[in-house]
Amino acid sequence: MDVTISKLPFYCVIIPLIASFCMPVLARWKKEFCAPLATLATAAVFVITLVIGYQVMNNGPLAYHVSGWEPPWGIEILVESLSSLMIMLISGVCLVIMVYSFVAVKFELERIITGWYYTAFLLCLSGMTGLVISNDIFNMYVLIEITGISACALVVAKGSRMATEAALKYLLLATIGSGFILFGIGFIYMITGHLNISFIAIELAEVKDTYPILIWTTLSFFVVGFGVKAALFPLHLWLPDAHSSAPSPSSALLSSLVVKVYIISFLKILFIAFGLEIFHETFIRHLIIVLAVIAMLSGSFFAFVQIELKRRLAYSTVAQIGYIFLGIGLGTPWGLAAGMLHILVHAFMKTCLFLCAGAIAYQTGRKQVNEFAGMGYKMPITMGAFTIASFSMVGIPLFGGFISKYGLALGSLEAGIPSIILVIILSGLLNATYYFPIIGQAYFSQDEHEAHGEEHGAKKFQKDQLPISMLAPIVVIALGIIYLGIFPGTALNFINQTIAMLL
Amino acid sequence: MDLQIVFLNFPYFVAIILFSMGTLIVLTQPNLVKKVIGINIMETSIFLFFIAVGNAHGGVPPIFDASAPDVFYVNPLPSVLMLTGIVVSFSVTAFALALIVKLYIYYGTISAPNFMKLK
Repeated sequence: MDVTISKLPFYCVIIPLIASFCMPVLARWKKEFCAPLATLATAAVFVITLVIGYQVMNNGPLAYHVSGWEPPWGIEILVESLSSLMIMLISGVCLVIMVYSFVAVKFELERIITGWYYTAFLLCLSGMTGLVISNDIFNMYVLIEITGISACALVVAKGSRMATEAALKYLLLATIGSGFILFGIGFIYMITGHLNISFIAIELAEVKDTYPILIWTTLSFFVVGFGVKAALFPLHLWLPDAHSSAPSPSSALLSSLVVKVYIISFLKILFIAFGLEIFHETFIRHLIIVLAVIAMLSGSFFAFVQIELKRRLAYSTVAQIGYIFLGIGLGTPWGLAAGMLHILVHAFMKTCLFLCAGAIAYQTGRKQVNEFAGMGYKMPITMGAFTIASFSMVGIPLFGGFISKYGLALGSLEAGIPSIILVIILSGLLNATYYFPIIGQAYFSQDEHEAHGEEHGAKKFQKDQLPISMLAPIVVIALGIIYLGIFPGTALNFINQTIAMLL
Repeated sequence: MDLQIVFLNFPYFVAIILFSMGTLIVLTQPNLVKKVIGINIMETSIFLFFIAVGNAHGGVPPIFDASAPDVFYVNPLPSVLMLTGIVVSFSVTAFALALIVKLYIYYGTISAPNFMKLK
């Protein structure tokens, strides 16, 4: 029994990997089987991650040595409580997006692409779960590349000029990023002679005073590499194009999960491999805080001036990545916990917003933020979910975003930098300035094109003209945001167990 | 003396110079194919770096010989890791070139400033 359970983390990488390579063959033979099989694989991974989560919560971390080679030589998979929460999040959100893409893929993509779309999707899922649970840095690099290339494929699936341009830009910059990461891995191997994170941590603690300059160099390579990958502010240039020109289920996946898994592996390298002493001795902490603060403000400013809804959402992601990096930079228990909780909350919010944007384009064909008049009457359920997600973005109590912002504020008090609270509030207000006009327009003004024939002021509710497979994911994810806002305890328990180990 | 250290470690210097050159080419060249070549230069420099890390002066190839069990071996692990790195670099290059062909069909040019704008 124990052997089976310790193999479970391995299955949640291998199942989507095998399923993804079945897709192109299946697409040639029976195209309509692709989506159900892909959903089945994702659902299987989700169930496995739930079992892992239960197991990790009760019995402590799960470790698996791939093909029986012991840690210093073989590849080790280590699932501690934070990783188990993150793989639950990844597979759960992937499942929701997968259900949504039944109809969305038929609507947005060419028929011939369908099979390849699911291939890229499942590869991306497999890469992300592997990246979160792997404890070997070279294995991490390979999974980073799998995630990166399949993410590019998800962008280019749309086939338009914009999408191709954006995908090429994404690919080039992401490759520079992973080049920097690989160079950093080379330096670490040179210093310590290990690739396993736990062993690197032991070795680095001993030799850190011997090679101070080399450790500085390594850290800066990692910051640049993961900064490009995770779109930390000055390195975010690829993000708005890629996320806004992709098909909407892909942009939901990219924006809510793909940029986050890099942050989690950065956290692992920074806090486990390098350890707290190096984190506090070097100025890496200050650098991350400064960049995060700039990201929080300027991302919101850039979002404010965008007209197209999906571009606005993409720039808002840049700002929210700032919050997560701020949590890492603060490095106090509350700050880190809030940063990690924000990964969870933001994954829910951004998925919800992008799926709503896709649903609105599906029903009415509108993509600009100034065309939303009367939308609340035409699509009450979708706009309701949109409103919930926007309130959560702004940080209104009872919604998930409030908890993580409150936690960040507590974290900055703990770290002795109370002025950061001002930045958090300012950024929240800026969020309000670009989300509330959309909501206000949707509920309180009337569509001029349709108002002519009817009586003045006759606003009538209609039910959304959406298929149930598009509507259900939106509702589920919106309920998830409210759940996180009212009962954040379970998620925080998972996060705090790992953080107690890190700090 | 100092010169000798530089001479012994010259693969590291070459790797760093090639890495900077590659990054610069990707970021500044307008021609998309040249950008891809830049990426290749960058990744090859990393491979060189890894293999230099694994090298030991005076080491022999890591093949077990029963008659001489304790000879001084070169570390084979970085070289093996770089096989994976080469595969990754190959697939990135192939994907990027495929995208460039697609852009060429759309625009009739592979010069980036003609269509790629920062927005």
